[in-house]
Amino acid sequence: MSFSGLIKQNALISSQLSRGIQTSAILASVQSGRYKITPKRDRPLTYEMANPPHYIAHRKGWNSWNTSNLRGELRTAQCITEDAFIRKFMTGTWHSLVLSEVIIKRQFNHIRIAALIKQGISSRKMYFLIGYTEELLSYWLQCPVTLELQTITDPKDVIFKYI
Amino acid sequence: MLKKINLNSLIPLAQRTCFRNYSQEPAAVETVHDDDFRVLNLRKTKGTQQQLSRRPKPPDVPPPRYKQMAVDQDWGAVWPGPKTFHPASVPLPVRQGWVPLNKTVPGKFANAELMKIPNFLHLTPPVIAKQCEALKQFCTPFPKGLETEEQQEKHFPVQFISSDYVHGLPTIRNPLSRIVTIKLKLSQLKLDEHARDKFLRLIGERYNEETDEITIVTDRCPLKQQNFDYAMYLLTALYHESRTVEEWESSKQEGDMEYYNWHNNQSKVTSTEVLNWGLPGDSKVEPPQEYISCVENLMNEGENEYNINKYKESVVKMLGLA
Repeated sequence: MSFSGLIKQNALISSQLSRGIQTSAILASVQSGRYKITPKRDRPLTYEMANPPHYIAHRKGWNSWNTSNLRGELRTAQCITEDAFIRKFMTGTWHSLVLSEVIIKRQFNHIRIAALIKQGISSRKMYFLIGYTEELLSYWLQCPVTLELQTITDPKDVIFKYI
Repeated sequence: MLKKINLNSLIPLAQRTCFRNYSQEPAAVETVHDDDFRVLNLRKTKGTQQQLSRRPKPPDVPPPRYKQMAVDQDWGAVWPGPKTFHPASVPLPVRQGWVPLNKTVPGKFANAELMKIPNFLHLTPPVIAKQCEALKQFCTPFPKGLETEEQQEKHFPVQFISSDYVHGLPTIRNPLSRIVTIKLKLSQLKLDEHARDKFLRLIGERYNEETDEITIVTDRCPLKQQNFDYAMYLLTALYHESRTVEEWESSKQEGDMEYYNWHNNQSKVTSTEVLNWGLPGDSKVEPPQEYISCVENLMNEGENEYNINKYKESVVKMLGLA
């Protein structure tokens, strides 16, 4: 087989395999994203936690908004890895301050990161951290990054119910 | 040595003492400013424990912005571009979330669902009107004489179709945008009978008989412009190729014909003979066009009830037997 033929065949195989790999056990799909009821009914849940994954697009929205998670679109793997990295970086940088999931929205090459943040630090530190996060992420991801945060005085505001 | 001196001279006196406190004099009292980030001190000794005597006071947060907004404010100035929803700047009592019956829907504060969904608060009707007004100076009037579709088809016969893709990704390229489609009515090309026949043979299944349209799709070049140029080249080449008559085309026999042509066949000789039988020499009667097309249809499309009936009618009419 010629070199170009080999490349074509490889591309064909990879495009067929791209959606077929499942890395977690089937059993985990029953458990993931669901919380057990405690005997005293005192486990706090946010709205996001209160609705298990099968309610996405019915009762709650997605946490990542981009076009690469549509069928046949480009940069699927890169986008997922970048999003996972952004989430890690956000929760690490805003340590014990992020009260919700980190919402990542992409418009063209612009990344908007939204989250609920506790008002646990002074506004001066907060402005520093916003600039720090935007600057570092835009350097690593090579595209403009905007942090659109909402601060919350009382962390109990995000609690939707107790189970 | 030089470096050390420089450093020392750069640090102001107050900070220098503070630095010494950390490293050498652990017993000294430190003042911890709430505004500063904590410093990671790996060589921590007992006395350097930062004393947080009082609980941090709650941050001084001003009341939400929407409470100070005027009723007749310019909303476009408050929300100029696309942005994630922020409850303090939107003066609307919105709520979102699913709750069981007889429970209250979560409000706009501390509601992550409202931050997820895309909003169009930057595209309110007055803002769109203002933007349209600003764009008007760049618009030109619609060209005269191109109002109807017939006129457009007459002056711009070639239709050029391609797709552009917009992503929510840091890329502006999509390999699918290279594909170019060209559509053209065959009647727009000036072809004689021979050229038309040859053109259709060359273009094959790209011709749609029902709409009289030819469609050329090109996707072998990496760029849209290249594919467009290639499609136009193909069209030009097809047109000129179909107009040329090769030497060997004149040596075509009746057995090589792909379809039945009445003018080359025995039917013409016989029917002319029958019509001219017994007539004086000079005046020759030609069979009518209706008869010719009936015979051609019968031979080309095959024998069916309709064609045979038409043939019968035309023969009866031609011979005057009705």
